[in-house]
Amino acid sequence: MRFQDYRVLFQVVSLVGVLLAVSPALSTSVSFPTGGERFSELWLLGPNHMADDYPFNVRFGDLYSVFLGVGNHMGCSVYYVVCLKFRNQTQPLPNSTSSMPSSLPQLYEFRAFVSDGETWEKLVTFSIPEVLCYENSSFVNSLVINGRSAWVNSCAIWDSEYKGFYYQLFFELWLYDVSSQGFKFHNRFVGIWLNMTA
Amino acid sequence: MVLLLVLFSMFTLPVFAVSDREAALSCISEAERVVADAYEVALDAEGVGANVSGLMLRLNEAADLIFMAHSAFEAGNFDEAIRLADLCGEISSEVRVEAQRLRAEADSEHAARFWWSLVGSFVGVAIVVSASVLGYVYFKRLYYRRLLKMRPRVEQV
Repeated sequence: MRFQDYRVLFQVVSLVGVLLAVSPALSTSVSFPTGGERFSELWLLGPNHMADDYPFNVRFGDLYSVFLGVGNHMGCSVYYVVCLKFRNQTQPLPNSTSSMPSSLPQLYEFRAFVSDGETWEKLVTFSIPEVLCYENSSFVNSLVINGRSAWVNSCAIWDSEYKGFYYQLFFELWLYDVSSQGFKFHNRFVGIWLNMTA
Repeated sequence: MVLLLVLFSMFTLPVFAVSDREAALSCISEAERVVADAYEVALDAEGVGANVSGLMLRLNEAADLIFMAHSAFEAGNFDEAIRLADLCGEISSEVRVEAQRLRAEADSEHAARFWWSLVGSFVGVAIVVSASVLGYVYFKRLYYRRLLKMRPRVEQV
C-alpha cells in the first residue's frame, strides 16, 4: 500500500468518527420521520366480547348489547367522536369514496380521548320500545340507547329476498381536526343489521 | 291583585324558561370549546415530548360530563346541565394549565438535552480530530522511518 492510500484511509476513518461524535446533537435538532401507516381502528364486538353472537333477530322491549371500540395508531393523542345512526335498507350509509358521512341524524354520541397506541371501549345497550307492522312495512318510532331515548321515525319495507324487515344500527368515527377546530369524518364506520320481523 | 300576579307569572315564566334554556345551551357549547382548547394545548405538549396520557384520562372525564350535561339539557334540567358544563370547564381549565406546565417542562428538558449533546458532540469531534492528526503524524513518521531503513535489493531475472 502506498502512503497516499493510507492518507485516504485516515481521512475516511476521521470523517466517520466525526459523524459519530456529531450524531447526538443531530438527533436532538433534526427529527426523522417515523415509519408506518397512521390509522384508527373502529370495531364492534358481540355481548360476549367476541366477534360473534351479534344481535340480529330483535324483538321490541328486549335489551341488546354490543361492545364498541376505538384504537388509535395516529402517532399522537386523538379526540374521537363516535356517532350512532339508524337506517333502513334504502337510507344512505357513509360514502367511503368521497369520505362523506351519512346524512342521517345522529341518535347518540360517544366522546373519547385516546392516547397513541391505546384503545377505548364502551358497552352499548339498546332496545326498541315499539315496532309497528302494517301489511308489508314496519315502523320504528324510537330507540333506547344506553338508557336514553332517541326518536328514529324509520320505516322499512318487507324484504322478500331475505324475508324480513331490516334496519341497520351503525357507528361513524369522527376526529377533532386542530386546523379547522372542528370534527371531521374519519371515513370509518361499522354497523350491525337488525331484523325486526319477530 | 291575584289576577295581576297570575298574568305576570304567565308572561314572565316562559321568558325565564327560555333564558335558562339558552344559558344552559351556551354553557354546554362553551364547555365543548374549552375541552377542545385544552386538548389542543395537550397535543402541543405531546408534540414536544411531554407524556400526556394522564391528561387524556382527565379529558375523558370532561367528555363524560359534556355528555351528561347534554342529557340533563334534553331532559329539561337546565340547572343541572349548567352545573355539569361548569364542572367540565373547570376540569378542562386544569388540564390546560397542567398541559402548559408539561410543555414548559418538556421544552426546558429538550433545550438542556440539546445543549448537553452539543457540548458532548463538540468534545467528541475535538477528540476525534486531535486523535486523527496525532495518529496521522505518528504513522507518517513511522512509515518514513521504516522506508528509510529499507535497502534496495537486486534480484536476478
